[in-house]
Amino acid sequence: MQFGIFSVGDVTPDPTTGRTPTEGERIKAMVAIAQKAEEVGLDVFATGEHHNPPFVPSSPTTMLGYVAARTEKLILSTSTTLITTNDPVKIAEDFAMLQHLADGRVDLMMGRGNTGPVYPWFGKDIRQGINLAVENYALLHRLWREDVVTWEGKFRTPLQSFTSTPRPLDDVPPFVWHGSIRSPEIAEQAAYYGDGFFHNNIFWPADHTKRMVELYRSRYAHYGHGTPEQAIVGLGGQVFMRRNSQDAVREFRPYFDNAPVYGHGPSLEEFTDQTPLTVGSPQEVIEKTLTFREYAGDYQRQLFLVDHAGLPLKSVLEQLDLLGEEVVPVLREEFAKGRPAGVPEAPTHAARVAAAKEVTVS
Amino acid sequence: MRLVVVSAGLSVPSSTRLLADRLATAVSDRAGGQGAVDVRVVELRDLAVEIAHNLTTGFPGPALASALDAVATADGLIVVTPVFSASYSGLFKSFFDVLDPEALTGRPVLIAATGGSARHSLVLEHALRPLFSYLRAVVVPTGVYAASEDWGAEGLAERIERAAAELAGLMRGLTAGARVAAGPAGSADRAGSPPESVQVPVSVPAPGGPVGAGGFEVIPFEQQLAALRPE
Repeated sequence: MQFGIFSVGDVTPDPTTGRTPTEGERIKAMVAIAQKAEEVGLDVFATGEHHNPPFVPSSPTTMLGYVAARTEKLILSTSTTLITTNDPVKIAEDFAMLQHLADGRVDLMMGRGNTGPVYPWFGKDIRQGINLAVENYALLHRLWREDVVTWEGKFRTPLQSFTSTPRPLDDVPPFVWHGSIRSPEIAEQAAYYGDGFFHNNIFWPADHTKRMVELYRSRYAHYGHGTPEQAIVGLGGQVFMRRNSQDAVREFRPYFDNAPVYGHGPSLEEFTDQTPLTVGSPQEVIEKTLTFREYAGDYQRQLFLVDHAGLPLKSVLEQLDLLGEEVVPVLREEFAKGRPAGVPEAPTHAARVAAAKEVTVS
Repeated sequence: MRLVVVSAGLSVPSSTRLLADRLATAVSDRAGGQGAVDVRVVELRDLAVEIAHNLTTGFPGPALASALDAVATADGLIVVTPVFSASYSGLFKSFFDVLDPEALTGRPVLIAATGGSARHSLVLEHALRPLFSYLRAVVVPTGVYAASEDWGAEGLAERIERAAAELAGLMRGLTAGARVAAGPAGSADRAGSPPESVQVPVSVPAPGGPVGAGGFEVIPFEQQLAALRPE
């Protein structure tokens, strides 16, 4: 099982000081957070993609390329890559390039974006959101698997005998997750291809996550990729920790109360009760996270959101220390217990290369 | 049969709730009498905070989730709002804003409102009816408006009876229709069925239609992809 962090990349004022970091500071902070993730023994760093203030990560492969050069083991991923408004040809090229530079430590998560206007900014129609995700990914899937592609669709100019370069590292495309919060069509798409499904459950009650994951698992089996238990599932989570639970609550409350997403709504207590948010001691985070598999089944990837709501870099790095030292080692051990033999490991490039060779030989 | 009554009155006791109860009793009497109709009243006042939270978080708290489920599975609905600033109340609208937009499709709805004077009675026609038409509900022809003066005057009781008869007819019709669609055994139930003029929408799954899993319905991916292929 893989553990990591995902960042939205928001520039948010620190409500306790009123100070807003500059874009430059935030970008450098994201890189520092990624490097710290490797240092403390986490497996994955994923960045969001946004094209409007107050978000900075508009160019994920640029950032991930830089992180790749400064890390050795960390898997670089996205949360998410906009399959709707990006040109699938450019996604194919950018991520294949990144794959070579990072020696295969790359996967990515497809998403449709959280801002309506992003569609017209890129000349697209939001009412075609699902259709764009379907058609663009179908093309991307081919570009990474066929050296020469002739293609015609509804949304993009046709391709005649086109070769996307560079070809994927070892001829094995990056693993793809499809991220969705509430669209069953995306769970269906992930199942159809036998790709991973990431449910970003951080703002959602458990029963909703359960239903989405169940849909994906049953359709994964329907399409013949394996049993429902063999489907590849990822989940989100968000945490704020101090050794002493009361200290965590006291320190995090002003950030929670003013956060762009959930601020000025339910109380911290109501929100932690109804969603995966955990504010407390490392032990409380361990206990809450272990409950995820009760409704999602044994899964492959757990990503935590830790650098949000205007938290200063220092506090975020302290969160990573606690995750690396106290939380993740216990989670690795506990999640391994009782994990059925048939449940696959989280995907890595090396394992996918080995699997591809096996198929070629047999 | 399940009848859900949504009342957006704020005071206790409230004339909105009073109208809601009068309508619910009239509908129950006509839809099969005592025991045949399971009535659930959703008081939006009790859900006001959860509705506001749902607007900020995107998901309903436990009590609101239960109310939304009840609405989405009702055989018929009575919705009653006080008139605030020439329209339905903001709380009333917010409840239907957080409801799944598909939840009312084909569902019979009786619209009603209360106000201080008769001058606002057309709020039913310019505010409530378009809202529920947008949600693809089947809105019964008679809406019931009760101004303060109506409670002591003639006419309100007749309007309640007429609207209730229309809603009960649709509810019986839909239930009978579902039985007919299920098999010939249901045809016996057509005795005492609504007037022939009442259309009975029966949902027929389209060939190669959606498949269900995990409580969701999805279009199989091949169909989704095929629909995008250029001619």
